[in-house]
Amino acid sequence: MGKELNNEGFVKKMFKKYYAEWEGEPPKDFNRREFAFVISRKGEMIRHKAFEEWGEVREFLRKNSPLHVYYSSAYYAQPSASDMDAKEWMGADLIFDIDVDHIYTPCKERHDRWTCLDCNTSGRGMPPEACPKCSSKRVEVKTWFCEGCLEVAKEETTKLVEDFLIQDFNFSPREISIVFSGRRGFHVHVESDVVKELDQRARREIVDYVRGTGLVVQNGKRRVLAPPLNAGGWPGRLAKGVYELLNAGDIEGLLNLRRGSKVEEVLKAIVKGLEESRDYWPLEGLARKIWFKAVEKVIVRKRCEVDERVTTDIKRLIRMPGTLHGGTGLIAAKVHLKDLESFDPYVHAVAFVKGEIKVKVLNMPEITFLNQTWGPYNDEVVELPIGLAVYLICSENAIVVGEGDENA
Amino acid sequence: MGLNAILSPDSEVLRRSVERIREAVYSRATSVYKRDLEVEVLSHPVALILIKHMNNKRLVNVYAEAEKNRVLANLLKESQEKLATLAIDGFNWHVKREGDFLFVRFDDYLKTSVNMLDAYWKLVNRRLVKGYVELSRRDFSRLLAEAYRTRILEKVNQVEDVQVPSTLKSVIEELEREFQGVLPKVDVSATYVGEYVPSAFPACILKLLEEAEQGKNLPHMARFTLATFLLSIGKTPEELLDLFRKMPDFDESKTLYHLRHIAGEIGSRKKYTPPSCATLRTFGLCVANDELCQKVKHPLTYYSKKLKSLKRGELGKRAK
Repeated sequence: MGKELNNEGFVKKMFKKYYAEWEGEPPKDFNRREFAFVISRKGEMIRHKAFEEWGEVREFLRKNSPLHVYYSSAYYAQPSASDMDAKEWMGADLIFDIDVDHIYTPCKERHDRWTCLDCNTSGRGMPPEACPKCSSKRVEVKTWFCEGCLEVAKEETTKLVEDFLIQDFNFSPREISIVFSGRRGFHVHVESDVVKELDQRARREIVDYVRGTGLVVQNGKRRVLAPPLNAGGWPGRLAKGVYELLNAGDIEGLLNLRRGSKVEEVLKAIVKGLEESRDYWPLEGLARKIWFKAVEKVIVRKRCEVDERVTTDIKRLIRMPGTLHGGTGLIAAKVHLKDLESFDPYVHAVAFVKGEIKVKVLNMPEITFLNQTWGPYNDEVVELPIGLAVYLICSENAIVVGEGDENA
Repeated sequence: MGLNAILSPDSEVLRRSVERIREAVYSRATSVYKRDLEVEVLSHPVALILIKHMNNKRLVNVYAEAEKNRVLANLLKESQEKLATLAIDGFNWHVKREGDFLFVRFDDYLKTSVNMLDAYWKLVNRRLVKGYVELSRRDFSRLLAEAYRTRILEKVNQVEDVQVPSTLKSVIEELEREFQGVLPKVDVSATYVGEYVPSAFPACILKLLEEAEQGKNLPHMARFTLATFLLSIGKTPEELLDLFRKMPDFDESKTLYHLRHIAGEIGSRKKYTPPSCATLRTFGLCVANDELCQKVKHPLTYYSKKLKSLKRGELGKRAK
């Protein structure tokens, strides 16, 4: 108990330091939004706050140094009303959430563990929905965010912003913000009048579009209609995808096909057809079969794995860019599209860069933090850069030992 | 023409309004009345007032559908240019023309297309170029006609509960009597009592049922859907208790309280019906996987139709 207090006290002290100097960047029409805060670990979320001046937001953060800061994606006539209907919804940003928690990455087999709290069965990788041994739902998860995870999250975010939001939906890059979620992914905010008033059903259509859900491949009884390369939207995306795939070699591996003269001939015909067609054109027999196999692969490659619940919720609370994540101590930092490729949360989202501190690390895989490699550690006392120590304490992987020299 | 003249029992406008409604009910499309344009124009809002006062949801839908069909027949004959003008002036759509195609900005497209059930209209299956959805003249007309239908439904809901003159009351009562047999009011809650045939359940309900039996921790909306569906087809709250017993956070008295509440036995006494297909889609609970799903908008309608067709199938087998 004493140790926990110590941990929380330490985190609070660090957060207070961060918010003392914090300026922040007001989101669009912030005075029409609801704000929400989690002040302490055991405390409930404080909701229905509204601020007229940006200075009041800064003042609130300075005073309370909350563990989590959220605002509503929605704009309200009465943002501080505690009854959701009395708030009078006026519109909402379009929000996307790309979270590695929901995306399979092979590296999870290495660094993620789950344990059943009922029968103690444990395993590695993505946690099962229920314990495979005793079917309990009480599965505890320990996750880490490694370079492999980061790459996947970046790839999905780039696809979302470049291929879908800019190319297909024609949003201006100025209307789109990419924000590191503070943990294992990115949030993408679209502030645009074009989408502001769309309801849940319309937003579901947008999510389905981005995820490729409900995509129907034009299929007749004996033939399939292939779209031309220059078609817009998914039809063109499929045509281009198949073209790239068939030109990439390794057809055997990708499509599970045995190469033979007949197959070669058909592949060539499809490629030629794609190059020459200006409109939908029919494929039959083996070509139809190959087309289907290829299209299936292409959809998986080109679709974007966003969490549909976040986008369809028109009254969602979302972490405020520029604030700290209480589960990691990292900054939910805005990232420019051009900087996304080189973005490293363990460099660019670190709030505390100066000083070191001794902590007892319970468990930690090898981590590269501020360009230096640390660990792996298991139940040992070590001296770490303060940002990494905050990260481990916030994520309950380390505890403070005594009053460290964190001011060093 | 004054309001009194329009609403007097022998007015041509009133006569035409009633005719319009009858056309909608009996031939599913309204005709175009060419004798007097003013009468034709005025008969539409009067028809809406009459319909509003009859308080029959089916009738509203039938009328809107019929008007849509009439409008569509006309739109299909229009030029590309005229179609674009109608959409811009009438509905504030953002429209572009290029070659054989019309382009509608995606937000305008979505506001109407979400009411169209066929996968053909899903945004993911359209060509979306630089924020605009590419449509043939025919599809553009269909979208515009659907927007017109939606507008009628909105208008009926907007019509205030004005006191209608007594002369109209008799007209309304007469029509109500006339339509009683032709258009029975829809009541999804009362139709299927006492028949528990899981093989006729829609896939969404079957999936929830299966997950509940496996003791999965279902989200609120999933539990609500499952409970209201099973209660609607005649299960009792007590019978449903066992189904939720396997959930990780099961609390017998709490669960029973909730079940009895949505069954209308306690609290507000309102008997809840399951969410519509549209709502289920929004919450990601829709798993639409067969043709029947394309034709219905409500899981209970699916159940009733499927039940009927299963029974027909059984009878057919016996006859052989």
